[in-house]
Amino acid sequence: MTGANGDIRKDMRAYIQENFLYLEPEVELEDADDFLALGVVDSLGFVELVEEIQSRFGMVVEDVEITEENFGSIDKIAGFVERKRTSR
Amino acid sequence: MSVRTIAEDLSFTATRDPGRAAVIFGDRVLSYGELDRLAAGFASGLRELGVGRGDRVVTVLPNGIEAAIAFQGTLRAGAALSPLSPTIKRDRLRYVLDDVDPAALVCDPERAEMAESAEALAAPSVPVVAAVEELAAVVGPTPPPPLETDLAAVMYTSGSTGEPKGVMLTYRNLSFVTGSIAEYLEMGPADRVLCVLQLSFGYGLCQLLTCVRVGATLVLEDGFAFPGRIVQLLEDHRITGLPAVPTIFQVLVALRGLGNRELPDLRFLTNAGASLPEATVAAVRRTFPCAQLYLMYGLTECIRVSYLPPDRLDAPTSSGIPIPGTDAWVAGAGGHEAEVGEVGELMVRGPHVMHGYWRDPERTAERLRPGRWPWEPTLATGDLFFRDEEELLHWVGRTDDLIKCRGEKVYPREVEEVLHAVEGVREAAVVGVPDRLLGQAVHAHVAPEHGIELDPGTLRRECAERLEAHKVPGRISIHDDLPRTARGKVDRRMLIAPGEGSPVEPQRPRSARLKSGSWPNSRRTLRRIRA
Repeated sequence: MTGANGDIRKDMRAYIQENFLYLEPEVELEDADDFLALGVVDSLGFVELVEEIQSRFGMVVEDVEITEENFGSIDKIAGFVERKRTSR
Repeated sequence: MSVRTIAEDLSFTATRDPGRAAVIFGDRVLSYGELDRLAAGFASGLRELGVGRGDRVVTVLPNGIEAAIAFQGTLRAGAALSPLSPTIKRDRLRYVLDDVDPAALVCDPERAEMAESAEALAAPSVPVVAAVEELAAVVGPTPPPPLETDLAAVMYTSGSTGEPKGVMLTYRNLSFVTGSIAEYLEMGPADRVLCVLQLSFGYGLCQLLTCVRVGATLVLEDGFAFPGRIVQLLEDHRITGLPAVPTIFQVLVALRGLGNRELPDLRFLTNAGASLPEATVAAVRRTFPCAQLYLMYGLTECIRVSYLPPDRLDAPTSSGIPIPGTDAWVAGAGGHEAEVGEVGELMVRGPHVMHGYWRDPERTAERLRPGRWPWEPTLATGDLFFRDEEELLHWVGRTDDLIKCRGEKVYPREVEEVLHAVEGVREAAVVGVPDRLLGQAVHAHVAPEHGIELDPGTLRRECAERLEAHKVPGRISIHDDLPRTARGKVDRRMLIAPGEGSPVEPQRPRSARLKSGSWPNSRRTLRRIRA
């Protein structure tokens, strides 16, 4: 599954770069970077991000799952998507 | 003989119920007894620094235990609180320090370096306190309580134009408005309020003051970023009251599964800061069927003006009635009370009305005007309203936002409501832009629901069907997001006079679809209020 996980990271980095950081092309988002500390995504942004993840990976995200542990960075999103997939 | 003010509310509750939880932040629970002891220590510490009645104490603190101690301690000392946003930058802090000339500057360790560099640049020399709990450990005589007429706060507000102004509020102003709000929200010691709003804003500060007044528990969170965290807090702490702004409500109603949670303790929700679109009101009621929704209107100059009683939500676009113990009326032509349906500036009187702007008699005179009664000035809100047959107030727009097109008046709100009603429209703002022929041209800015494509031509036809010709926007621009001020309101100034590289340059195609964040600074300055 490492390969698939790597794809998740690549996909999400591209999505965030394109939708939230396109005004700051000089920012190179690292997989461990904290979205909130960097001011990359705000609360409305997280709702958009969740919608994207639901449609892209065909999964359902519940309200209480939109937390820092699950959506705080690209690494955390990748881990969350993996866990959701294996628990199905 | 004295009247109990917000300076004495804390010790009053602490004496009667010292073990009750006063403030919860993360894993930390501070009882009323502990908060009282720490606030008294902080007050003694301020006194040792030479802070007394009438002296200003500037704070730059994020939501947390330290902010609760510093705010309550400053009031205990009988001094005046000047709370600034924790995201303030050095130059702006320096401006406020020069203006308000404080006796102390309080911040957290994270902001100490920024605060000290601002202090070094400012004209007055101010002691910087970066360890709130250390100062709160001081043991010494408690300063005498303030008079009702002493200065309790200088609240800085940027307003829609110009330099920030410091709104002067006395202990009487804040004590009165605290009691009035607690009364209409029917708050009591069993309440547990979740505050994600910054305590440095008037709306946030009110949460601390009302909870301490009635002996309720305040659950603090530093901002609103991950909605899942908020849902967890609502359940874990069996929250009874949630104050919010439109953005927060819009995020909450978009969450999957929230509407299926029972949340049987959640008793009331409040909205202020900007009006809640009718569709969002309906969605909030569906998501939280057990909670009462209070739509409120206020301004820093008196904190709160009006509220819509929840049993009047059949009029969801109304701002309701004046808060208990106050009066608000619409001034029509010649300054007399307007007829039903007649639009004019809303005027406010009552014990909550400010005593003017700090050291700014000119701008004070614009807002505090000789009124209907010779013994008191009246607060002119700068907001246009009308009153309906049932005595409910309706907000129409800012006096500054009024558009004069072809010599006729256009109230942006009326056009915005028509646009809001079109399917797929998430947000709409209408402004007047200078036009050689028309005087001002009506220009609409619209943001669609996620994933929806809007056609400016269709929107224009919808407007033409429902509005008189002079009110139909001559131009409609579609954006992913509208620009916002630091407080989360739509930034109309940016829409009228956008900066370089902005999306409203005339050479762009009319239907250009623009990405969110393309407004200079919008996303970043928003982090604290929206995030």
